[in-house]
Amino acid sequence: MVIDLKRCIGCYGCQLSCKAEHGTPPGVFFARVVKREFGTFPNTQLTFLPLLCFHCTDAACVEVCPTGASHYRQGGIVDIDATMCVGCRACIQACPYGARYYHDEQAAYFPGQGLTPYEQRKYATHTTGVVMKCNFCIDRVTSGLEPACVANCASRARVFGDLDDPHSEVSQLVRLRGGEQLQPELGTRPNVYYLPV
Amino acid sequence: MPDATDRWVPSTCGLCYGTCSILGHVDNGVLVKIEGNPASAIGRGRLCGKGVSGIMTHYDPNRVDVPLRRTNPVKGKGVDPGWKEISWDEALDEITARLQKVRDDDPRKLFIQRTTTNTSGRAPFMMFAGAFGTPNSWAAGGGLHCGNGAHLIGGLYHASWSLVPDFQYCRYAIYFGASKGHGAGHVSCTNMQQAADARVRGMKLVVVDPMCNFASAKATEWVPIRPGTDAAMALAMVQVILHEVGAWDAEYLATKTNAPYLVGPDRCYVRDAESAKPLVWDAARSRAVPYDDPEVATAALEGEWDVQGVRARPAFALLREHVRQFTPEWAEPICTVPAETIRRVAHEFATEAMVGATIVIDGKRLPYRPVAAIYFRGAQGHKNSVYNCYAIELLNQIVGAADVVGGALGFNPVCYGHPETGRPWYEPRPGPDGLMITGTWVAPHLPYPIPDPKPPVQMSLSGLFPLGMFGTTMASKDQEDLWSRFNLPYRPEVMINYGANSLLSVGNSDTVAETLARIPFIVSFDLTLTEFSELADIVLPDVSYLEALDSRPNVPFIFNHPAGLGEWSWPIKQPVVAPSGQRRQASDVLLELVDRLGIREEFNAIANTHLKLDGPFRLDFKQRYTYEEICDRELKSHFGPERGLDWFREHGVISWPKRVEEVYWRPFVPVRVPIYWEFLVGLNGKAKAIANAHGLTWDDIWYDPLPHWLPCPSHEVKDTSFDLWGFYYRDTLHTNSFTNENPWLDEASRLDPYSYTIALNAATGRRKGLSDGQPVWLESPHGRRVQGRVRLTETIHPECVGIGGCAGHWAKTLPIAAGKGIMYNDLLEVDWDHGSPVNLNLDTCVKVRIVQ
Repeated sequence: MVIDLKRCIGCYGCQLSCKAEHGTPPGVFFARVVKREFGTFPNTQLTFLPLLCFHCTDAACVEVCPTGASHYRQGGIVDIDATMCVGCRACIQACPYGARYYHDEQAAYFPGQGLTPYEQRKYATHTTGVVMKCNFCIDRVTSGLEPACVANCASRARVFGDLDDPHSEVSQLVRLRGGEQLQPELGTRPNVYYLPV
Repeated sequence: MPDATDRWVPSTCGLCYGTCSILGHVDNGVLVKIEGNPASAIGRGRLCGKGVSGIMTHYDPNRVDVPLRRTNPVKGKGVDPGWKEISWDEALDEITARLQKVRDDDPRKLFIQRTTTNTSGRAPFMMFAGAFGTPNSWAAGGGLHCGNGAHLIGGLYHASWSLVPDFQYCRYAIYFGASKGHGAGHVSCTNMQQAADARVRGMKLVVVDPMCNFASAKATEWVPIRPGTDAAMALAMVQVILHEVGAWDAEYLATKTNAPYLVGPDRCYVRDAESAKPLVWDAARSRAVPYDDPEVATAALEGEWDVQGVRARPAFALLREHVRQFTPEWAEPICTVPAETIRRVAHEFATEAMVGATIVIDGKRLPYRPVAAIYFRGAQGHKNSVYNCYAIELLNQIVGAADVVGGALGFNPVCYGHPETGRPWYEPRPGPDGLMITGTWVAPHLPYPIPDPKPPVQMSLSGLFPLGMFGTTMASKDQEDLWSRFNLPYRPEVMINYGANSLLSVGNSDTVAETLARIPFIVSFDLTLTEFSELADIVLPDVSYLEALDSRPNVPFIFNHPAGLGEWSWPIKQPVVAPSGQRRQASDVLLELVDRLGIREEFNAIANTHLKLDGPFRLDFKQRYTYEEICDRELKSHFGPERGLDWFREHGVISWPKRVEEVYWRPFVPVRVPIYWEFLVGLNGKAKAIANAHGLTWDDIWYDPLPHWLPCPSHEVKDTSFDLWGFYYRDTLHTNSFTNENPWLDEASRLDPYSYTIALNAATGRRKGLSDGQPVWLESPHGRRVQGRVRLTETIHPECVGIGGCAGHWAKTLPIAAGKGIMYNDLLEVDWDHGSPVNLNLDTCVKVRIVQ
């Protein structure tokens, strides 16, 4: 995936469309936006950094997973098999990008008022006592759709595609616009590239 | 019966007035996803964070499901109404009796209040108000804060509610307190896409704003400014362009504005003795002729002649002379923008305008002026909103960058309709003195022509102030004093509220609550019980936008349809899921009240006009129609008998391509706009006489035909302990006070560094010994206080505190929203002194001090 920081306006559309797609519990964000300030007034820059699982080629989470729950899927997508996850959370420690969440117990968005019909439907798909994270919307992708955050991005800052194909739009954007990984020195070879502001 | 289907329903978002087209995914009766509808130009298949979160607003367990009646006769802010459930029949019986009494007595005693959040209430409530016979209707807060000036100027110059840069061709845009394309507002999602394209293409964006947050964060250059001083910077830019650069579009000014109109020593037009038309000086024939004389080759913009016994000069010459005083060095101490920055930006704007350039699009050679000066809420939300917006708009006008390729575009002021039906059809036309009358408009009264002022008979006093849409007296501390002064022959007795929470949206809640407590009977259509509902007598359970029907969510196109080349789209809003509980759509309830009150004939007549129903689709005056039937007739009237509601339910939207002469209409439509507001001279004389006769003091400076920077009350606070300017800004996560109750948006706000905090310049904060996250009070010179935590930041002007949105709810019935964020509006005075004496706009910047 390529995220164009020049196009991103920090509207939180990715964070919230991801939540709507997956019905993630309170406090869990497979996609999120971090705002950061640089410089001092008046030479200030406010930047919006959309974050998600980087689906690293050498994923530290897969390496440390004792059960094989964290695994690589087709096209390099890193996913978690909830039936194999024992909730040891070693992967959360290992992931340098904070992309993983431990889902300890079911919580409601309207505390003390029960689950909404939407939450009842969506939370039934989540297992408690396991780790959750972004899987690039693999169900959407296998049925020919883009990940929810990509399809919805109102400023079209996100492009999804095959980084192994040098002719793909993502590869060309990385090449032409100087795409960079976030903290590549950590050595996990992330598969999400950012285009400069 | 359970709905065992899996379907996607095309409809329209209702979480802000951007009203993007959506698809609602319903699986076995449960709404499981909201996405954008790619078949529509409105949003182009993409939504903001609010739009995708509507599920949680819809399924809020705190929704009202039954009609409620208060049992506690005591009304006040925070007073428990003692709700008891009643039946719809009981509710409507009581409402009918109250309304009937008022209608028999004086229909003007009915006060209708709407929200700006959900636009679907506008047509039915305006039609109901008209049929009932009351002129007293407003969008609570919306008009006072964001509309009276920006929309007035948008209407006068662009025949449109708002304007954007022509994102496809603009090379240099300057925003004054606007965020178009950066997260919120009219046409938010399509604008976001177009603005991103423009950024990548290399459009330079300069944002003049006290805070570096949305547009300013993405700008090529952020120019921090002191709140309420936009006119000072804009006038200095005009001065630089007209005197230092010496660049203006003479042809545009001579043919598309009143720049060549001759003005006499009385500051009024010199008129033709026979036709009374304003005269221009024909340079070729060396004589004065009416402005529309077809023989005029070049009307002079400068010079001085004896005409009809007076010394006459073109309006442009007066403008040029007038702005000579507004040098960048004059502006700097007012607005804090360095003179060299003002001068440089003005030079860049004038140079990039490429006066004289043309471009061929679709085989037509058109003027190409790729610069735009854009203003909205930040520039306009002040006592001096008219001159702020007028001064900024002059930047577009002097270089001819208005509704031409690359320039400042109104939102769709010209539409020649669907190719098969030619409807909807509208275009601006010349009015008195050749100045433009809009082809369509949102509010009942047009920006131009300006009616003569009269002793006011409206709650807002708008009869005396014809440039104003809404007035502070709808909810001001001194409303009784002003109404008495002007002998208003009635007082509001019944209020119908549609979804507005005016306790939060207008000004300080104590003042607003006092005005509401004086209204004997209030009915409120609500989704949840709010701070406002606590003052109501009856609450009616409204449907959410996902349960509602509306044939015209994006009508008129000048309000929230994307500008620029592309497609026209007319979508509908339809129920994605069936209404739960006893919820009923307000438009259906209004129709029942129409019948109960016996005003069907009046309502149907108004509906025919308002909805432009035609031929066989006109409503019969005697017949009762459901709102569905009226929607069906509106759609058939515009798109033919085969494209009624059934067709739209299936397809969701109809789209067709825009024509070049619709988008870049200025060269094609023979209208002029005023760079010199001659009409203010006459208006001032007449309005002043009425005001003085009723003991209202008057200052002519607000009615000068050329713009000034005039101070807001906050600029005149003498006590130096009030050392900061407070302002609020539109947070991309929220719409007014409404979305604070949505738990997904609330969660995002809690994680955002600024959304729920008081943004304070880091150096200023450190100087005051404050640390990040520290709880403080902000106090106004009038002793009003709000509490919040400071966020020390480099993103704000050192003299300012910035607060996001309209939060700070306290109602227990809003458990997600209560106690979150800050109600900035609680610092605002709502009275005559804090309103504009021209357009009745409320001032929204406040001088404050921090109290620990």
